Order: sequence, then structure tokens, then C-alpha cells
Amino acid sequence: MSLFDKTLNRRTLLKSGTVAVATIAAPSIVRGAEPPPVKVGILQPVTGAVAMDGEFGRTGAELAIADINAAGGIKSLGGAKIQMIFGDARSNPEAGVQEVERMQSEGVAAIVGGFASPICLATTQAAARYDLPYIVDVGVSDQIIERGLKNTFRFAPGFGICTKTAIENLVRINEAAGKPAKTIALVHEDGLFGSGLAKLMQQELPKHGFEILETMSTPTPSRDLSNITLRLRSLNPDLVIPSTYYAETVLLARTMQQQRVRPKAIYAVVNGAASNMRFVKEFPEAAEKIMDCNHWHDPRNPKNEDLRKRVEAAGKQWNYNVPLNYSCVGLLADAIERAASADRGKIIEALASSTYDKHLMPYGPTKFVGGQNQGAAPVATQVQDGVIRVVYPETYSDAKPVFPVRA
Amino acid sequence: MTLRATLPILIILAVLAAIPLLATSNSVLNFIVFVLIITLAAQGWNVLGGVGGQSSFGHAAFFGTGAYVSAILQSRFGINAWAAMAIAMGVGAIVGWVIGFLSFRAGLRGSYFALVTLAFAEVLRILANAAGFTGGAAGLLLKLNVGFANMQFSSRGAFLWLALSLVALTLFLSQWIASSRFGAQLVAVRENEEAARALGVDVLAVKLRAITVSAAITAAAGCLYLQYFLYIDANIAYGLWISVEALLAPMVGGKGLVLGPIIGAFTLHGLGEAAKTFAASVPGIDLAIYGIILVVVVAFAPEGVLGVLKKTQLWRKRKAHAATKLSEEAA
Repeated sequence: MSLFDKTLNRRTLLKSGTVAVATIAAPSIVRGAEPPPVKVGILQPVTGAVAMDGEFGRTGAELAIADINAAGGIKSLGGAKIQMIFGDARSNPEAGVQEVERMQSEGVAAIVGGFASPICLATTQAAARYDLPYIVDVGVSDQIIERGLKNTFRFAPGFGICTKTAIENLVRINEAAGKPAKTIALVHEDGLFGSGLAKLMQQELPKHGFEILETMSTPTPSRDLSNITLRLRSLNPDLVIPSTYYAETVLLARTMQQQRVRPKAIYAVVNGAASNMRFVKEFPEAAEKIMDCNHWHDPRNPKNEDLRKRVEAAGKQWNYNVPLNYSCVGLLADAIERAASADRGKIIEALASSTYDKHLMPYGPTKFVGGQNQGAAPVATQVQDGVIRVVYPETYSDAKPVFPVRA
Repeated sequence: MTLRATLPILIILAVLAAIPLLATSNSVLNFIVFVLIITLAAQGWNVLGGVGGQSSFGHAAFFGTGAYVSAILQSRFGINAWAAMAIAMGVGAIVGWVIGFLSFRAGLRGSYFALVTLAFAEVLRILANAAGFTGGAAGLLLKLNVGFANMQFSSRGAFLWLALSLVALTLFLSQWIASSRFGAQLVAVRENEEAARALGVDVLAVKLRAITVSAAITAAAGCLYLQYFLYIDANIAYGLWISVEALLAPMVGGKGLVLGPIIGAFTLHGLGEAAKTFAASVPGIDLAIYGIILVVVVAFAPEGVLGVLKKTQLWRKRKAHAATKLSEEAA
């Protein structure tokens, strides 16, 4: 015996079918007047080696999309909402490309993100096959914009601008304090940015009267930096310049603290930790007064404080990737607004002629030449009393540099 | 090469070759191309590790050499992509022979051999990361320049056919090795090196031949990777990831079997990809599935997927056999 009537006759089928179709169709009938959403691909590595950064980037992009939609969406498209298509690049280029293909098949109008240079190099190229506009958030390798890909735009500064600014800022800060720093020791990771940076600084810094005592490289990951610290102790340089990723910088700062190696200042360049709140929170004493030349938000822009409060209220951490991705999505939305279309060619044109100034970064209005935002530049930051402050340039600073830290 | 043994290979190849004609989604094609590249690297591993029993943990050394040689020849010397690939495979084979000569002559086996190959791959990775002509840590980038001479195709389907044809060639090569005198000697070395030597097998020569062939195949996979993604750096080319991929696929599919690598690669990545589609909201779910498959295979099916299939077949045959016997007895 069965509890249910198993027979399905024509009438039941027709009746239930009609009901089902009506149910499925109802939302679109009710919504009727609302224009179709504009799909935007957000690509970030949220698993794997650089998952921490990917998570920051996703937070920024999510908040930006929520704000744009809450403010009425894309007005020139009749208030079309932005729909996020998220992709996990898994910290490697192959997975990134696979996600670009998926986003393409889901019909996104543009992609924002990438974070790491290898991911950006591969994914921008994959997107270029479909003339799919792509805004790179971080990816510092200058090869990204030197390939002449028309779809690729980088909002943040690249490697060349970062190193040039870092050296200029250091020279100015040192001169303003009466040139207390004369000798320098460079500690760099042996990968893309570390070794390239060290080479440049070896060429440039002696021109400004600095003496480079030694250049020491360390692999990523490193588990022990005692030897480097001991060497620093015997060299006793005025200035230590570490260009390393998060874990190694934390390790170096802590080992230096333990072994009481106290240079006049630590001036990091595009460093993984020196502008990271986690480092400041977990090891406040080791982090105190460390300077860094890095991406950072504009502290004079009050919107950053609001955004930061929202991020922290959601139990998440604040890092430069959050305002950077928030701004990149804003930049894209502005371009779609001006293009008045989700057409890829029109969005690319709108991005190329963009003068977007409502972003959160200390760059001024955007101006793209060959895909690179010309106003983009890093700033000098310093950890002061457990807070990361911008100390240079003065137009964006919210504190004065403490330099030298020790006489 | 009997038809019976070749038929499964032909069926698999035909199905894969038909995909670009049926599937319109580039997402599917891209996925299959990537898995085919992994398959090729794994097929290389299988010759040495599966058939020959010399488990290498450093096939990245060959993958990376293939990719780097091809990239340098193309970007710095303007050599045609196809010629660059042939040269790169040759250089990969030489690197294989050198590593093999150094370690096999020293009598390294088992985990010692695995560790030494791992070390070689790491040394190459650090060198590639530091040297100027490899582009250092910035890596090497090939210009996006679609054209047959550059081995770059506007359609993903064309690249799929290219990768598939290389996989097919290697499948037939493996099939030939399995039935050849060389293959028999290799299996003898795997099963008992001393016994093989006592029977007159030149153990060193056999192992060297295996690692050379193996390295050339894996180097070809490196070239394909380069042509497809157009960018390599030290961590991509010589990274641990490809060493692991190359040995996992045959292990999951069936070590030492002709179809082992291709079945293994598609099982591992296919399930991972499916998990990603069905549980898209959970980042990393595919990696978790990947891990679970590994644990399950190692614990319950050390012979791999094909091993399990074979066992069930045998078991069925035996059961059928026993049943007929019983009925005969009853009669």
C-alpha cells in the first residue's frame, strides 16, 4: 500500500505544470520594469599562498558593489544593479584563467582584481581574447601594461613608479631631518620585487650620498633570520631597508628587536608587513616607528574612515587592498555609467578617457596612458603609537615623520 | 599492439577529440586543455616512476627546462615555436640523462632517489629565479601573437587538439614500451633489480633510457604550458606543484598502466571542478575534495582507479567461473 497516488495523469501534469511555470516566471513579471543587472567579475585569490590579500580585495569589492547598488545602481542604464560574479584565482595563474573563462561564459561586462603579478599577466591576456575590460588592482609587474593590451587598465602604481617614489621620498625625508642617515644595509627577498628593487637601489642611492654597506638576500619563505640580524649588528648601518613579504618582515623586525639591533630607522619599500594592521596589532613593539613606502588609502578622505569602521564592524581586517578594490569597482561603475552601456568596447573607451576622482586613494583624478593610471603613486607610511600614518607627501599626510627614530 | 589493448585508448581519444566540436563553452575547453597538459607531464612521470618503479619527486626539473628553453629561444632568439619545442624537448632529455646518470650511478633508489630529484628541481628553481637570462624572478613573457608559426591559436579547440595529439602520441609510445623488450627490462628492474642484473639486464642503461624518455615527454608538457599561458616564472616552471601533479595523476589513475595518467588526471581535476561548480560559495572546496580523493586512494586503492576496476573484473570472472563450476557439479 502506498500513501501517495503515484499515477500522474495528463490533467495533473497540466495543472501542476502551469503552476510551476507561473511560479518561476512571477519574479520577472513583478520586476518587469527593472533593467537587467550588469554582471561584473571580481577575481581574487582567496585560497592558497596569497589568500589573505585576496580576502581583503574581495571585501573591498563587495562593499563597493553594495554601495553602488544602494545608491541606485547605474543610472544611465535605468538604475541597473551591479551583480557580482566572484572567482577564486587560488593563488596561481591557471586557476585565474579558468575563472576568466567561466566569467566570460556567464557574460560579465568587465573584470576587476587579480592581485599577484603572475595571475594578472595570465588573466588579462585571457580576457583580451574577448575584448573584456580588465582593471588590475595591485599586480605591480610593469610587464602587465607594457604588452599593449587594450583591455587592461591598472589603477595602482607599478613597480617602476613605486621604486622611483620610494627613493625620492627617502632622500627628501632624510634631507628634511638634516641628513642623519648615511649608511644603509639592504635586506631583500630573492623574488621578483625584492631583487629588482635591491638592484635599483644599489644604483640610485649612492647618487644621493648614501653608502650601501651590504646587500643581503633571503628566500621566501625563510624560517630564521638570525644570521642576517647578526650581520646587521656588526655592520651597524644607520638605515635598514627590508624588501620582503609579510612573514619575513615580521620575523626580521622581531629578531632585530630581540637582539637589540637598533638602526636610526627601518625604511621598508613596498613591504608585505610594514603597512599591515595585523603586524601592528600582533607585534606592536617590533612594528613601532617602522616606515614603509607602499600603497595606502588617502587618510584625509573621510570616506575611508567610514569604510574602515564598516569593515571592522563586519569582523574583518583593514588593509590597503580594501580601499583599492573599492576604488577600482567605483572606477568601473563610473565608466559603465558614462558609457551608458554594458558593451565591452564602450566600457574600454570610457575607461581610457576616465577622470574619476571619487576614489579613496591618494592619486588625484584618474588619467590612463597606455593602460596605466598616471597619478598613481605610493606614499610613505610610519607606524606611530600603533597606528599606520601617512607621513609623506604632505598633500596626503596625517602625521609628521619621526626620523631618525634614534639619534 | 593488439586491437583489444588499443581500443580503450582509441575510444578515449575519440571522445576527447570530439569535445571541441560539441562544446561551445570555452570554460570547458580551457579546463580540458589544462588537464591534458598535466596528463602529458604525468605520462612522462609514468614511464620512469610507474613502469620503471623509480619514483621521482622532481619532474618539475624537466617541465621547467622545457618551458624555459622554449621561452628563451622564442623571446631572445626569435626561433619558431615548433622548432623551439623540439629543441626544448631535447634539452629536457639531456637534463634527464644527466640527473639520471648522477643519481643512478650512485646507486640511489626509492626515497633517496625521490629526494635527490626533488633537490635537483629546487636547485634549478633557485637558479632560474636568480639568473638574468631566465628573466630572474620577473619571469619570461611570450608576446600574444596568434598564428600557427607561433603555436598560438585563436580558438581553444585548436590548442586542445594539439595537446591531445601529443597525449595520443605518448599513449601509443607507452603502449609500445609496455609490450617491448625495453619495457620488460624496465619492469624487471622495478620488481627486483638484483635479479634483473643477474639475468643480464644492464640496469643503469635501462634506467637512463627511461629517465631520458620520461624527461623529454615532461619537457613537452612544459612547452605546452608556455604556449598556452604565455608566461612562466621560476615558481611556475620549476615549482613543486608540477612535480606533485605529475606523480599524483598516475598514482590515482593506476601507476605503470598506459591509461593511468590520463584517467588519474581527469578523475582528480574533474571531481575538483565539479565540486567547484556545485559548491561555488565555499572557496577551496575543490582542494578539500582533492585531498579526500588522495587519502581514499592511498588507503583503499593503492593500485589506482584502473587497479580497482581490474580487481572487480577479476572478482566477477572468478565468481562466474565458480558459478559455472557449481552448476556443472550439480549437473
